[in-house]
Amino acid sequence: MPSIVPTFAWLEGLAWTTALRESPYGYPLIETSHVACIVVFAGLVIMMDLRLVGLAFTHAPLAQIQRRLFPWQMASFVPSTATGILLFCVDPLRYYRNVFFLAKLVLLALAGLNALAFHLKTYRTAEGWDEDPLATTTARVTGAASLLLWSLTIVSSRLIPNNWFK
Amino acid sequence: MLLPFFEWCDGLAMSQAYRDSTYLFPLTQALHVLAVTVFVGAIVIGDLRLLGWGPVGQSRASIARSAQRILLWAGLAVLVTGIPQFTTNAMTYQRSWLFVFKMYLLAVTLLFTATVRWRVAIAEEGRLPSWVTRAVGAVSLALWMGVTISGRLITYYG
Repeated sequence: MPSIVPTFAWLEGLAWTTALRESPYGYPLIETSHVACIVVFAGLVIMMDLRLVGLAFTHAPLAQIQRRLFPWQMASFVPSTATGILLFCVDPLRYYRNVFFLAKLVLLALAGLNALAFHLKTYRTAEGWDEDPLATTTARVTGAASLLLWSLTIVSSRLIPNNWFK
Repeated sequence: MLLPFFEWCDGLAMSQAYRDSTYLFPLTQALHVLAVTVFVGAIVIGDLRLLGWGPVGQSRASIARSAQRILLWAGLAVLVTGIPQFTTNAMTYQRSWLFVFKMYLLAVTLLFTATVRWRVAIAEEGRLPSWVTRAVGAVSLALWMGVTISGRLITYYG
């Protein structure tokens, strides 16, 4: 299998990634924007999850919370992904072997699949239990899984600078 | 003036334990970020509602009351995970203008949230002109994002 390392080395050597890496403001400002967007995105996803598991906003119909929060989740998800990709491009050789970075990618994929399953299957039946303070068992399990996956994603993201397992 | 307090924090057994351990500080920091995320989520849902963009089918007061419980629990977790980070690095933080700025901003923001924002959120619907509730939502959002952003920047420019 061809190694990905030369591609990452090429990416790291580009003029703009080098400039961003060496600038005293480039990397910190992109990372801070990344964190600010993620906090809003994940924060709103967690609010939706807390409604799903029946821990908060139980008086509000689920569809209403979901429909009104979704545009804001997307408005913060898009820039957080863009800044995340940018951060990776700046230092790919540092990240691609970092355990916490890899764990974050796996957790993100799982959280994405969980959200997709919810939207394609569980949410379709939501009309029947929309106003119940306690959602169906499947919906609650999806909410709990989302809570766990996003929490672990955030924790592993913050641990990336500590490369404990080399 | 506060130097003896910072020195006392620095000398605590807990601070020493944090300095001696490879894992304690980063793990506490990661949990702090998680608690901040939950806290900010509960703030943003309320602010969006104040701005007229959130779950408008629900009254501002009912969203605020439900969010308040989350704010209290997440706020407690932010505090519990924030204190050891502060005491461990007290001597560094006392010289950090960003840390001092974040703390002043946090004090103002907490005061605003507990007084103006809360009063406006639980006020009877229609009693206040909509520009007032929208302005309070916008100010709250700006203040809390300011606290979050300045907190993150301490790592770089503190």
